[in-house]
Formats: sequence, structure tokens, C-alpha cells
Amino acid sequence: MYRTAAKRLLGAGLTTSRLLRSTIIPSSYTSNLCTSSMGHTEFSNQSGPTAAGEGPRRKPRPEFEEEQARVLSASLRHVARLGWTEEAMMAGSRDVGVSPSIVGSFSRKEAALVEYFMDECLQLLVDRVDSGLDLQNLIPSERISKLVRVRLEMQVPYISKWPQALSIQAHPVNVPTSFKQRAMLVDEMWHSVGDGASDLDWYVKRTVLGGVYSTTEIYMLTDDSPEYRETWEFLDDRVKDAFDLKKSIQEAKYFAQDIGAGVGKSFQGLMNGVMQTMSTRGGRSSSSF
Amino acid sequence: MHLTSRADSSLSLVSSSQGTNFTEAMALRSISRRFGSRVLSYRSSSVASLHSHATSFGFQQVKEEEKSKLVGNVFTNVASSYDIMNDVMSGGLHRLWKERLVGKLSPFAGMKHLDVAGGTGDVAFRIFDAVNSVKRRALRKVDEASLEETQIYVCDINPNMLNVGKQRAAERGLGDNKSLVWVEGDAEALSFDDNSMDGYTIAFGIRNVTHIEKALAEAYRVLKRGGRFLCLELSHVDIPVFKDVYDLYSFKVIPNLGELIAGDRESYQYLVESVRRFPPQEKFATMIADAGFEKVEYENLVGGVVAIHSAIKL
Repeated sequence: MYRTAAKRLLGAGLTTSRLLRSTIIPSSYTSNLCTSSMGHTEFSNQSGPTAAGEGPRRKPRPEFEEEQARVLSASLRHVARLGWTEEAMMAGSRDVGVSPSIVGSFSRKEAALVEYFMDECLQLLVDRVDSGLDLQNLIPSERISKLVRVRLEMQVPYISKWPQALSIQAHPVNVPTSFKQRAMLVDEMWHSVGDGASDLDWYVKRTVLGGVYSTTEIYMLTDDSPEYRETWEFLDDRVKDAFDLKKSIQEAKYFAQDIGAGVGKSFQGLMNGVMQTMSTRGGRSSSSF
Repeated sequence: MHLTSRADSSLSLVSSSQGTNFTEAMALRSISRRFGSRVLSYRSSSVASLHSHATSFGFQQVKEEEKSKLVGNVFTNVASSYDIMNDVMSGGLHRLWKERLVGKLSPFAGMKHLDVAGGTGDVAFRIFDAVNSVKRRALRKVDEASLEETQIYVCDINPNMLNVGKQRAAERGLGDNKSLVWVEGDAEALSFDDNSMDGYTIAFGIRNVTHIEKALAEAYRVLKRGGRFLCLELSHVDIPVFKDVYDLYSFKVIPNLGELIAGDRESYQYLVESVRRFPPQEKFATMIADAGFEKVEYENLVGGVVAIHSAIKL
């Protein structure tokens, strides 16, 4: 939310740069996203870190963070085979030409890799939206559907090991960061949809979308259908429910107000009756003195 | 008590090559600080205090050339009771500290590690265990490249300490193990090749080195790119009441213990005095950064009685 707020403030023209932006985003990786291929895919070997094509950066990043980002980026290639583990990170470090000892310097090792991946996916999503993902002709619920779909498709190459990533994210030590990342993701999605006129509260909107996203993500883990068709159907149903929920909540609000009015009237009547009774009784008793 | 001072933001320092110290002529270094950046003005004071470390033997002033010999004598005297005295002085805590050090290192199979001033082998044995017991199961999943032999070099300037270490290795049944290599050498002039080590640890040793910056420069030289430097050392306590308790314990209790158990009051007097003369945590972190290391952090244990400094060579 901090990033999108900053974007709004500074205008859409500026390219946003995150502190953890990697210097390589493997081109083969992005092309795989477009074709949304299933299963394990081989990535072409990167020839080494390229400093060119970095884009305008606001702050000069300290060298070790860049190096760590490079190692994490290279480690992603090994995840499908080795899982979200230190071994994958060590293999990644060897690819970059750095001693595997560097893995020891990551706090919460495997979590660092998962978090890096989540950040990268968010950045990719933002880029896709910026570079013209077609959202104009769709109604809000379809836009949400499409965004969630685009984001979940980024996980397809890692789907076999994704349960491990989820369990890493659920670890108490890692929950604060993973929660924040998901919150940012959901916020970004709503921002891209255009935050259209809606009666729902800001928090409720994000919670609902968070729920939709998480359930779809988990559904996808056990989906065997070609091109994850069933997952997308599930997603569409959930989004529809969520939007129906909005109407239902509105109706429920009015209903509650009516009930409240009714109950309030009858309660008031009751209290009046009680007061009257007490005053007459009190009057009678006082008269006996 | 366990205080962690770790850093998130960094500062890049570009220094011009002023000063005579060769380590200060490095082009780019970064220091990790917790709160924002702080420009360090160029330190003439640091040169003075480094010089003072080189000529201080505890609270005495000695000639630079002599310090090494004096320290050598200390350790020759204490070698046989070194481990027992450690247990008694720290109440067994030194074991936890060393466990923490090795935990931070995250040893892996196939690593080349150098433990300097590790005479009796405490840290080396722990690394050996870490690599060979649990992680061996994970080895099956690992690339062929890492199936090279793990090599742990234990380097110490004092042959007596090394002998105690070799003896302990033999007792554990590791006497013939090729992974553990005992080398006699000087931390200021290591006999290892450049860029040959994945890890470098020095536990309770850097205090005894005459020229700390030389030891740090050597550490930088032998480490590979991405290699980690870890230093476990007795350090400075700042917490008000606890500081006084610690001082009392250091100056009143420890030399007496030394006399009682090791029969050597002077060596332990030297020990507690040398702790006070050693640069405090931040200062030492600066020195590590000066040697060219990146991501320099330190963690205080027991309120600062012990600090683990860590850094990466990039």
C-alpha cells in the first residue's frame, strides 16, 4: 500500500523502483509466464550479472544486497529440483560464482528465497499491468479474476514445490513478512482494478480478496486439469461470491437497521411501561406514609 | 540476556587514500548500521588506538616486538588447563557461545574452513559435527560439485595449544580424519592461498593478536568471494549495574580462580585486562569494514560480555 500510494503521489510516469529489485529478471522466465506452461521448465543459462538496462534507481544499493539478490535469482532455477531449501540457494550461489557460505548470511534462509520470489512476482504483476494488460473492457469482477489468474500463473513453474513454500511462509517467524507481502499484493490488485465505486470498507475489500487469492492458490495445488482450467473456474466462482457478498452485506446492513429500529421501539415501549408501573407503585407507597 | 544489534541499512564509504595504513586505501567499503547512516570522519584517532593495542599487554605497556612473545608465554602456560578454566570462568556458557558462532556460520558439506587461534579445537570440532552428522543426510540431494571433501584447518601460533587439540581429536576418534588439519601459523601472516576459504572463524583469539588490522587483512585475503568472517570475542558491557558486576567478577574473581585452578594468576590477570583494552563493538566493526568486508554486523551475547561480529567478503 505504501508503494501504490507513492505511485499515486508521484504520478504514473515514474518507473517505480524497489530496493530489492534484482539486476536480472531472466528473460526466459518472463516468456514462460506468457505461455503459462505447466510443470518444470528449464531456464536458459544466464551469462552473468548484467549491469546494463538497470533503469533509473533512486538509491544506490549496497553491494552485498545486490549480490544476495543475484544469488536468490539464480537459486530460483534450482527450486523445482531441490525445493525451497538451502541446497537450492547453495546451488544458486555456485552459479553466480560466489562461495556457498553466503547462504549463511541470509536471515531465515529459505524464507529469504520465498520472500524474494514473492517480491519478484509482485513486481512482475505491476509491470504486466503497467505495460497494458487489457482490463478496460472487463467488469470489476472479471478484472479481479484476471489479475489473480495472472499472478497465480507465475507460480506454475514451481507448483510442485509450492506447498513447501506455503509452509515456510506459515512459520511463525516468517508470518509477519509473508503477511505484509500478501497485503501488498492484494492492495496492488485492488489498485490496478481501479478501486471502483464500492460500498465495502477498505479492510473488508482486502480481506475478501486475500481470502479468494489464498483459497484459489491452495486449490491450484491439487488441480490436475489441463491448463488449470478448474482452478480458474473455481476462481471465477469465488470472485462472484465475493461480489454477491457485497450486495448481501448491504442488504444485511439495511435489515439490521430495520430490526434495530423495531426492537428499539418495542424496548422503548417496555421501558416506558416499567417506569409507569414503578411511578404508580411508588406513588401509592409514598401515600401510605 | 541477549542483545542483538543488527543492521538493515548500509552506508557506502569512499575513502581517499590518506593515511599510511594500507588497509585504509581500499576504494569502497560499507558498514551496516541500525539507524540511518553516519559519516565517519577520517580517523586519526583510530590509528592511535590501534597502535595502543599493539603495545598493550593488558594494562602494561610493552614494546611491539615483545607482545607476541609475552602472549605466547601466556598460552604455553595455560594450554593444559585452558578448557577447564573456560568452563569455570564462564560457568559453562562458552559452549553456548561457540554453538551460536557455528550456527551463524551454517557450515555445509564440502566447505573449506579456517579456524584461527583455535588451538584446542572447540570450534573446529563443532563445525565438523555440524557438517558430518545431520547434513550428510541431505547430501544425497546436492550437486556433484559439492561432494568435495570438507576441510577444516585449525591454525594456532602456539604449538602447545595445537597439541592439546590433537589430543582431543584423538580422544574423539578423529585422530586420522583427513578433514581436520592442524597447522601452526600466525594470524597476521597466514600460509594459505588467496581466495581459498569459504569460512574464517576466530574465537577468543583476535584479542591476543598484536596487529588486529593485519589479522583482518589476512582474513580478507584468504576468503573466497562470498566467504564469511566470524569473530567471537569478549567485548564491552555498557549496561549500568551489570557493568559493575562484570568488572567486579573480572578483576576480583577470575585472577583468583586462575591461581587456584591453573596455578597462574598473572596469565588470567592479563586476560581480563586485555579484554578491557580491546576496541569496543562498534569500533571493531569499523575495523572489519576497513579491511574490505561487507555487511558487517555484530550480535551481543549476555549483554555485551561476548560479541559475535560477522561479515562477508564480496
